[in-house]
Amino acid sequence: MAGLFPNKMEEALWRRFRDCFTSEVADDFLQILLTLMQAMFVLNPDYRRNIHGFNGRYQFRSEDGQVSVAAVFADDRMQVIKGTIPDPHITVIFRSGRSLLNFIISPRQDILGSMLRHDVRTEGNLNYLNKFGYMAKHLQLMMPQL
Amino acid sequence: MTTVTLADISLKEHTLETLPRLAELRRQALARTPEICIERARYITRYLQSHDDPDDAPEVRRAKMVRYFLAHKSAPFHDANLLAGSTTSKPLGAPLFPEFFALYIWPELEVVGERKKNPQKLSAREARELNFEIFPFWMERNVIEVTRSRYNNPRCLQLFENLVFFIASKAGCISHCVPWYRTMLERGLEDIRDEARAKEERARQAGNRTGADFYRAVQIALEGVLAHAARLADEAEQRAAKSKDPEMRREFAAMARVCRRVPARPAETFREALNAIWLCQVGIHAENINMAMSPGRLDQVLYPWYRRDIEAGRLDVARAIELVGCLWLKIADNVTMVPEASEEMFGGAGTVPAITLGGIDGQGEDAVNDLTYVMLRATELLRIRDPNVNARYDYEKNSKAYCRRVSEVILNTRAVPAFYNDHANITALLGQGESPEHARDYAIVGCVELASNGRDYPASSSIMLNLAAPLEMALFRGRRPITGEEQIGPRTPDPAGLESFEEFWEIFKTQLDWLIDQAVQLNEHMGHVHQEMLPSPLLSALFRGPLEKGRDLIHGGALYNSSGATHIGFGDVVDSLNAIEQAVFIDKKYTFRELLNGVRNDFAGPAGEKMRQYLKNRTPKYGTEEPVARKNARNLVHHLFTKYQSYTNYRGGPYRPSYWTMTNHAGLGGITGALPHGRKAGQVFTSGITPVSGAAPELTACLNSVAELGGEHIPGGWALNIKYTPEKDRAAMAERFAETIEAYFRAGGHQVQFNIMTYEMLLDAKKHPEKYLELLVRVSGYSAYFKDLNKMMQDELITRTQYDLEGGGAVPLPPEAQGE
Repeated sequence: MAGLFPNKMEEALWRRFRDCFTSEVADDFLQILLTLMQAMFVLNPDYRRNIHGFNGRYQFRSEDGQVSVAAVFADDRMQVIKGTIPDPHITVIFRSGRSLLNFIISPRQDILGSMLRHDVRTEGNLNYLNKFGYMAKHLQLMMPQL
Repeated sequence: MTTVTLADISLKEHTLETLPRLAELRRQALARTPEICIERARYITRYLQSHDDPDDAPEVRRAKMVRYFLAHKSAPFHDANLLAGSTTSKPLGAPLFPEFFALYIWPELEVVGERKKNPQKLSAREARELNFEIFPFWMERNVIEVTRSRYNNPRCLQLFENLVFFIASKAGCISHCVPWYRTMLERGLEDIRDEARAKEERARQAGNRTGADFYRAVQIALEGVLAHAARLADEAEQRAAKSKDPEMRREFAAMARVCRRVPARPAETFREALNAIWLCQVGIHAENINMAMSPGRLDQVLYPWYRRDIEAGRLDVARAIELVGCLWLKIADNVTMVPEASEEMFGGAGTVPAITLGGIDGQGEDAVNDLTYVMLRATELLRIRDPNVNARYDYEKNSKAYCRRVSEVILNTRAVPAFYNDHANITALLGQGESPEHARDYAIVGCVELASNGRDYPASSSIMLNLAAPLEMALFRGRRPITGEEQIGPRTPDPAGLESFEEFWEIFKTQLDWLIDQAVQLNEHMGHVHQEMLPSPLLSALFRGPLEKGRDLIHGGALYNSSGATHIGFGDVVDSLNAIEQAVFIDKKYTFRELLNGVRNDFAGPAGEKMRQYLKNRTPKYGTEEPVARKNARNLVHHLFTKYQSYTNYRGGPYRPSYWTMTNHAGLGGITGALPHGRKAGQVFTSGITPVSGAAPELTACLNSVAELGGEHIPGGWALNIKYTPEKDRAAMAERFAETIEAYFRAGGHQVQFNIMTYEMLLDAKKHPEKYLELLVRVSGYSAYFKDLNKMMQDELITRTQYDLEGGGAVPLPPEAQGE
């Protein structure tokens, strides 16, 4: 499995992830986050424990309809699907990659402000978002020195 | 009958120097950083995973869970407090209640201890346990998700999740009540358990299975408290045996003796009575979240034990202050778990367990006694955030000396206690159908809410409604700027075409009533979910009504059953109504369309600013004697009262409107657009029922205009915040202070709370928090340490109108505070 993610590719992913925090735009944040998360579930057994026995269906979409991507957790694996999926546990609708980043894991996190300003809206079970938030934050804490 | 025998009611000979134990306990308490305690979450999860029987009645399931937790709960002795028992396993703990909002801390588990504002420590090991073992179990099981699933994600729930319309507090708690401790103290829990056993038997014989199940649940839950007390006794005995210090040996042995006796059997001494109440509070928090679980009129409940011990020579005043201080510090041993996002709304709040002192008794006689003054002195010496101490005052029955003494304590602490008018509050409760004896025996719940002590299950924080939302919806045809093009409320006519203020008032009421319907509907949905998920057999055992009716509190077991709805933005909305009426329809200075454009554009540009100045300075203000302002304030209060009282809640009681805001007026103001009274977008709202900062230049007019709203139409209570300039001559100020209180109460005011501080002092405290570590302030019903509050809330406190008590006028806001 590790062959799928040779070190250079992994390092590049971490770099792109790190750059999201300093970029004003962070348009690709969601794609980078999901890709890195998927990789780390394969590479890191401790991190993989987070999805052991977990079934969760997440739909992410941008307010303008330009981005629509889903993350599906089942059978101890994570699958990223472009487009929409039926019956998500939670749908997260965001104005921009930056607003999503602020909402989920920014060091200058502003969850309440994001919700009050309607930068991010949700439909569905918020506990799934809470769990996702933990996994994303943990990923951030795992980030190597680059 | 009054029973004051103290020669000096200020008890000034007793200080922290003469009470070194209290001084040290206070020092330790103020130095502590909160720690998240996962013990309760751990044990109730294990219980539900491995031992729960779904065939049991909900009350029995809940009782077994509580007993399991209490039987396993640790029995720590963190310091030299004379009372045994702790709410959590930590010296200052934030317990987790996964039935409610605990899972909202999930994303922050690994960083919550490091955050800048109000960190809450959590070990890596416990964070992992929460992540892997506890939280996953609850993903579909907390109140909000069960409600979503049961009612198919209703519109009212979606509105709540928008956060900008109303808050449905049942997603996070009920608690908010005052237990009945007198029976427990006089008879002991074993006797109450035996009564429940006999009643269970009779109910079974009568074929009343529901009642029998409830009585069985009561016994099971009480056994949990008894088991925990026994465990504390064991632990204290072991510590006594191990300790090499003779003093510590004696203290642990004494605590062991107390826990062997109470709360199982009747309390014989003042100390036992105090510890019995505390152990019941600990037990109640095993079942109910730590939010405004208020011990009530302790100077009345505990007085017989105090008097007996004093008369028998077993107790002196110094020891009584020390013991009361120990209880106050125990009550303050826990905080709420606060995710970073909620820090902005509730940051710095304690758990607001309210203590009520003074006033009159059930027969209408002066109830102030020596213990009232002992408790006031303990409050004055400790100056801590919790408990939230409140002083009742009947200007006809209570002595002037009592009023002056309470005033003196407020001046010395700068913030506590809050003052309550017995006449207005008893009138309000009589209007709710409470008997005169029960209404007179009212206590404060949480921030400012009213409840007959131990008889009233008021769920007083059920709804927190943002009044600016229906105002904006009335201005913009059912939409709000913050929610964009989405049609939220009914599509009402464009105000630009209206010909009278009365037409706009009708539109406003249409939007307001629609929003209240949504909030009430969600509260009813969640109430039914609570009935299935979260009965309270332990709390029910410590209440008047449930044991007589054979019914849990959540099913209407209390003597009185109401739901509370409080309101945010009252002063701003009244002033906006005033501005519309005056500017558009009386003066015809601006058309409604021009006003709408100004509001929509946040009064941008020179013309906008000119309009804003006019609206701000030339239209009538709530807090003055302007007839338009008085009429609109009265009409809004009257309408809200009539609307809420038209509902009957899931427990068979009415909805009671109230006016307190915690810190929501800051958070919600921060995200609300400009309003017609010249308020720019993003400015904080005014707190509670307080007039808008700077709008009421004369103290007397301010107090009168608020006071005239009092009486039957505000049965839930209100928070009026007043800031006074401190004076050098403290005695003269206390005299004037007391006179002002009496005049305000005679005019009908329900409540008032104070900050005795200046603009400059608060500006300095914001700039140099390290110099003001212990600065206690009143927020809107509760107390907080200024340094713990978020920036918006600090700014709101700074800009609150400051009055000179001597001259009665407002002190001008200094230029350096204008930008706050």
